[in-house]
Amino acid sequence: MDIPREIVANLIRATTDVFETMVLKRIDLIDPAKEIPPRAGSQVAATVGFTGHRCGAVVFHAGADVAREIAGALLAMPAAEVNGEMADAIGEVTNMIAGTLRTRMASLEPAWAIAVPTVTIGSDFVTRYATDAARVLCAFDMEGQGIQVELILNRQ
Amino acid sequence: MRFLIVDDSSTMRRIIINTLNKLGHKDCYEAANGREGLERLAAATVDMIITDWNMPEMTGVEFIRAVRASESTRGLPVLMVTTNAAQDDIVEAMRAGVNNYVVKPFTPDTIREKIESALEG
Repeated sequence: MDIPREIVANLIRATTDVFETMVLKRIDLIDPAKEIPPRAGSQVAATVGFTGHRCGAVVFHAGADVAREIAGALLAMPAAEVNGEMADAIGEVTNMIAGTLRTRMASLEPAWAIAVPTVTIGSDFVTRYATDAARVLCAFDMEGQGIQVELILNRQ
Repeated sequence: MRFLIVDDSSTMRRIIINTLNKLGHKDCYEAANGREGLERLAAATVDMIITDWNMPEMTGVEFIRAVRASESTRGLPVLMVTTNAAQDDIVEAMRAGVNNYVVKPFTPDTIREKIESALEG
């Protein structure tokens, strides 16, 4: 199962919009990878599931330092002072990306319902997917640091 | 002006409060869901409510219906700040009694314009 091109394009646009408007950091797409690279350095993974016309999840991946920097930018505080706020902040970033994607897709097809974010923090975890799920991983450069946004679509 | 910010995300409450502070509004109360929001309204006087939609215990739409049903709070202007921006979502929120609607992500200018518009309405 291939992920429709318009969903990937809207995911990229949604991610860019959220970063430029709320995080106030420029991000540039590195590679809309068809061949999924390993998620090296992913220590924070925030997931927002969705269901309805389509079923799947948007997952945001970043290293711990990058995640702290994003949280600091979002909350208007120095990254070094970010601590307990990081998980909620990265969850909110992912919520906004998934919500913006949902809104954009709602002009093309019936609206999805999205869930509240779940944030996993650690350095030794593996995510396993349903064998027939389709995935695309969009990698971005944020001022020299890497972030990734993954879309998982389950077959319905 | 005194604002009540109702959102289950502490991050989003902080972002909205930072934005309001930049716009010169320093008096802000916070609540993590609609039920807490109603408790705040019973204990303090506010001039405007800014609420999320998707929250545990009591959603933003349920909260607004409760606000509109109460004699003491039914006239308060209400802004909804949410990612739910499909046409059907906006219609549902307006029917519940929202004065204006802010779609995340947003800029400070958008919040200012929506506040002014809600006050005029």
